[in-house]
Amino acid sequence: MSMHPPSTRAAPQLDVQAIRQQFPILGERVHDRPLVFLDSAASAQKPNAVIDSMANTMRHQYANIHRGLHWMSERTTEAYEGVRDLVADFLNAPSREEIVFTRNSTEAINLVAHSFGALLRPGQAVLVSQMEHHANLVPWQMLRERAGIELRIAPITDAGDLDMDAYSALLADGKVALVAMTHMSNVLGTITPARQIADLAHAAGAQVLFDGSQSVVHHKTDVQALGADFYTFTGHKLYGPTGIGVLWARRDLLERMPPFLGGGDMISTVTFEHATWANIPHKFEAGTPAIVETIGLGAAIEWVSKIGFDAIAAHEADLTAHALERLVGVPGLNIVGSPRVRGGVGSFTMADVHPHDIATLLDRNGIAIRAGHHCAEPLMRRLGLSATARASFGIYTQKEEIDVLADTLVRIRDFFV
Amino acid sequence: MTTITAERDALYDRLIVERARAPLYAGRLDEPDLQGDGRNPLCGDKTHLDIALNGHHIRDIRHQTRGCAICTAAADLMVEHVRGGTVAQAVEMSERFRAMLVGPSPVVEGQSAPLGALEVFAPLRSHKARIRCAELPWIALKEAFSHVDG
Repeated sequence: MSMHPPSTRAAPQLDVQAIRQQFPILGERVHDRPLVFLDSAASAQKPNAVIDSMANTMRHQYANIHRGLHWMSERTTEAYEGVRDLVADFLNAPSREEIVFTRNSTEAINLVAHSFGALLRPGQAVLVSQMEHHANLVPWQMLRERAGIELRIAPITDAGDLDMDAYSALLADGKVALVAMTHMSNVLGTITPARQIADLAHAAGAQVLFDGSQSVVHHKTDVQALGADFYTFTGHKLYGPTGIGVLWARRDLLERMPPFLGGGDMISTVTFEHATWANIPHKFEAGTPAIVETIGLGAAIEWVSKIGFDAIAAHEADLTAHALERLVGVPGLNIVGSPRVRGGVGSFTMADVHPHDIATLLDRNGIAIRAGHHCAEPLMRRLGLSATARASFGIYTQKEEIDVLADTLVRIRDFFV
Repeated sequence: MTTITAERDALYDRLIVERARAPLYAGRLDEPDLQGDGRNPLCGDKTHLDIALNGHHIRDIRHQTRGCAICTAAADLMVEHVRGGTVAQAVEMSERFRAMLVGPSPVVEGQSAPLGALEVFAPLRSHKARIRCAELPWIALKEAFSHVDG
């Protein structure tokens, strides 16, 4: 089992205790036990830096943006647009104008399905994988119904890796206009070989979208190095607030694509008969955006960047290795998938104990995990499962918490069997 | 040190664990008069009921359940309680079971028309996410009865 690069050898150590001090919620107790939060893949907790930046915005420096001629509006516009620079830098995007703010990753993918989808014609295809979150499947199904395109599904191996031969074969006829693929599975933890996926897609004349919702949290993202054409992520998994997500797309694509939503802020001129569109990225940001949340996302990016992805990736690789070692020792436990490269997310099942019973009993012991189909029903069917339990790790997760999880799982198994 | 045993009283009564492990009424009937299905799309749990009637009496009933401990035990205990009674009694019991889980006030012990062993599910009132698990077999029962006149 290999972990995601970079190599852990020279990686700076993370002071987990100092980090935990910055997350007030981690001091809470649940059912009279210390909170063990192992559900960061669903949504991460928030550090003081994010909480304070949002509260301070509302306390001291808030007004609507872009059109205001007064001091408060101008300062708030600067703060909001400053986050666009931060995000561009975070993704190594060539230009800040290529950063579009959305509500979340789901909305970003829907934007592409709507606006890039409007350029597609019957006979063309969109290709996704078997391990997509519903967010990167349903919008393409909807596009198929609307536009008469074909939707192709690239299979995965039993280990939980993309089947690269099958993927290549699905590209061979040159009809695929867009490959839309997860960069990291929210169920299996699989980190997909993005560069290879992109190269094969481009060779077949397709554009590539990566759903980075899970992966941006765990390692440095460079959209240019990945060879991506579209990249999406969401703020709330990156220790930022809910209600703010990001679409990055190549400038020429954004310029060719029609708007997604119509309204204020996205126009150039409007008459009763007609409207013309604003330049990118504003063409895709209709209405008053999530100003406070965007500023909160900026705080999260600054906070994470200060810690650095070398340290974060090394910490999480260490946790994942520890978790695999400990969970394998739990009687009856089966870890779902063994992908070549995996991030800090792992699903498991337990013989004779249903995932929901596992989750409820863990919760009664203060341990928060997720159970169910994880918004990936087709993947569950592919794996022959109806549900799994999933533990996921974050920057604040401690090895001791994984030990508590493993010990409690042993007792749950004893209780039921 | 946390204990699981403490949970025995709170949510997973011994009876629930036993019936989930070894249900007494699991299986199919050869020639059912009624059939009903319940499916929870959130977790993929499902239960199938076969019912044999004798007039308005439930002569025999079996369930086939793929689900969590609460769902499986709820199906088995439901079958045990409605078996031999009338359809009308089962419907009335279903209403009282639902009231126990989501009604305006919890069922008080010693109240008239107790639910007997079905009261082991009463603690689910404070576990809203899991109420659906215990209700699933009753949903299947309602579906089966929807094919009955009067």
